[in-house]
Amino acid sequence: MKKIMMYTLSTCPWCKKSKNFFTERNIPFEFIDYDKASKEEQQKIREVCSAHGESIAFPFVIIGDDVVVGYNPQKYMKLLES
Amino acid sequence: MDAEKRKQKLREMFQRVVDPLGYKFSPDEEIVDFLLEQEVMLEKEHGHPFCPCQGLTGDRELDMKIVCPCIPFHRAHFDAMKRCWCGLYVHKDVEDPYSLVQISRSEFEQMQKEGKV
Repeated sequence: MKKIMMYTLSTCPWCKKSKNFFTERNIPFEFIDYDKASKEEQQKIREVCSAHGESIAFPFVIIGDDVVVGYNPQKYMKLLES
Repeated sequence: MDAEKRKQKLREMFQRVVDPLGYKFSPDEEIVDFLLEQEVMLEKEHGHPFCPCQGLTGDRELDMKIVCPCIPFHRAHFDAMKRCWCGLYVHKDVEDPYSLVQISRSEFEQMQKEGKV
């Protein structure tokens, strides 16, 4: 199974929906709430976002080697099945 | 001012800003209420009603671009999605906000290169 990592915000409803998407399917994932993270962690997350040409927008979902920015169940599903 | 009153005040202020830009509040009242509540909290903590779905960087110039309503700073990108990033606002002609998907900045830039937007 592909490893899933999510960068999220505790204030973002789409981040909650993304977490729910994986939880409801019993798909394990890890996440870090950017706004609750340490300054060092925040800096690392910003670097990851920038490296992918993205702004600091959430949810930032890493499925295996692929990245989906935003709540997009169709894309999550497609990447999980590929 | 208590949170409920501030939420209502922000709603009135934001309405006046987004209307001439061609946007309205999302028809999903639950999301609107939740997002405004988060913005009141962010304003209390950080001084401005920042977007609840974009991260603060500590760089004032960048952070001011995500103060709600941040549509003017991301106009072309949001117009392509017919919504703002957090979904508080949608284009006036949108009836079903769940018919819209978030398009990331890099995807949007790719669409621009391909002349799709």
